Amino acid sequence: MSVRGSIREVFGFFFSIGRRTGKTRVFALLGLIPVALAIIVRIVLHGRSGDIAAVFTEILMVFFLQFYIVILALFYGTSVTAEEVEGRTLSYLITRPIPKPAIVLGKYGAYTLLMFVMVAVSLALSFFIMNVARLSQPALYAKFLHYLGVLGLGILAYTAFFTFLGAFLRRAIIVGLIFGIGWENVIQYFPGSTQRFSIVHYLKSLLPYRPMAGGGRGVALLLFRLEPTAPLVAVLALAALAGAFLALACWLFRMKEYLYED
Amino acid sequence: MTSVIAASHLSKWYGNVLGLNDVSLDIDSGITGLLGPNGAGKSTFMKLITGQMKPNIGTVTIHGRGTWNNPALFRNIGFCPEHDAFYEDMTGLEFVTGLLRFFGFSPSEIRDRAARALDIVELTKDKDRLIRGYSRGMRQRVKFAQAIAHDPEIVILDEPLSGLDPLGKRKLIRLIKDFRSEGRTVLVSSHVLPEIEALTSRVVLVHQGKILAQGDVPYIRELIEAHPHQISVRSSDPRALGARFIGDRSIQKMTFGADGRTLIVETHKRDDFFGRLTGVVLEGGIEVEEISSPDDNLQAVFEYLVGK
Repeated sequence: MSVRGSIREVFGFFFSIGRRTGKTRVFALLGLIPVALAIIVRIVLHGRSGDIAAVFTEILMVFFLQFYIVILALFYGTSVTAEEVEGRTLSYLITRPIPKPAIVLGKYGAYTLLMFVMVAVSLALSFFIMNVARLSQPALYAKFLHYLGVLGLGILAYTAFFTFLGAFLRRAIIVGLIFGIGWENVIQYFPGSTQRFSIVHYLKSLLPYRPMAGGGRGVALLLFRLEPTAPLVAVLALAALAGAFLALACWLFRMKEYLYED
Repeated sequence: MTSVIAASHLSKWYGNVLGLNDVSLDIDSGITGLLGPNGAGKSTFMKLITGQMKPNIGTVTIHGRGTWNNPALFRNIGFCPEHDAFYEDMTGLEFVTGLLRFFGFSPSEIRDRAARALDIVELTKDKDRLIRGYSRGMRQRVKFAQAIAHDPEIVILDEPLSGLDPLGKRKLIRLIKDFRSEGRTVLVSSHVLPEIEALTSRVVLVHQGKILAQGDVPYIRELIEAHPHQISVRSSDPRALGARFIGDRSIQKMTFGADGRTLIVETHKRDDFFGRLTGVVLEGGIEVEEISSPDDNLQAVFEYLVGK
């Protein structure tokens, strides 16, 4: 079987497993938090201006960008290899006639799609509930797709990084938490080029900012201390990060022996 | 002609722990039993053969080709791991079909092969149940099904009989024997001699990472028979029982347990002792509460062989 065929089969296998695990149910429920928040805000804001709705939309984006996709990628990315070792199911996979990198890539693809679906459903519901008054405006849909695209890129990059971490370390989840909740949340506010050492910097550089009536770039929440990178450079940086970490993860998985804890 | 599986000066260690020590072994078609106590190195050897580990020293080949990072080799290998590990949220059918997908079979072939494998292990009726709801015996059988579903030429089974009830064991033993008659190569591990004995006469004894002996079952039995057995008999009057064995030449040593109710004997002729014990108990009217053989396990036998 070709490498591409192997990746496709691994993808199918793990997408089928992944969608019915308890972990997926828990994270899908977590995705209902912004939906609930959107409903509450809509009730409170009943009849108010669209600007306030936009403000809350950006608050929701903080949840998605700096928490939801990071946590999802952390738990799914590190589990690409870790859950096989901890669950002792790795033996079934590496005694099949498929190259080891196909296991990593197929599983990464399956989990990435799973996360993207969860994020897309949660974002779509919360976004359109929040902006229900502007559903007739085509610009709203463009903005939604823009947000979704940024979150999709975030899922790709973060998951690749955490997949590498999971292939490299036995207790990757702890290091991943320190990175995702600690490093990413701190380094993005550093002035100058230091903030470019975080993934979230490139994601925030891609966000659309709505012009305020009185001028300016809009809500400062996601812009705070951001010295944005040019959009094209940001996209390339994210793609390069995802590619490099995935390649490293595949190489490690091929070369490393994974021992069960006996 | 080269062997199907060939290990040459194979060593593997985990940090400071030696898993396998300078093992050289050729395995040909038919059933070969790998016998040794827990932690002897059987699973390490099997993981090296199946490319799950790479040797620190030495080589292991299948049909002359190295097993580490050689996925093409696994088209003809079926592996049944020792661990009771599964994708618990899958049904038995999904588990077998899912793993068959990695062989590049067409969907209809996958369905047919999975159905056949599940039928062989008598799980057709339960194929749509989640694995997490399976009994221990069913889990062992579905694990075996995934190892044979692709019709491999070489089948490697790590403790396949553990956890099975006597009937389940007998059925699986018959299945494994069928593989031999089809000219396949089967390597099966166990820490229970009668299990291996029921499967094959070709046995490799492994202990502390080394091959202690290899040969047919009568030879291994002979080695084991040379080991003095310790038998413990708990009775109402152990001293009266002991007195009747004083002149028995089959007894090497006799002691009494601290509880005052146990007679402990050491003998080379276990069967003779048991034969005489029955007569003595009947003649003397001594009530026997329990007979056990504290060292009647492979570990004790292996320790004896190592020290010999």
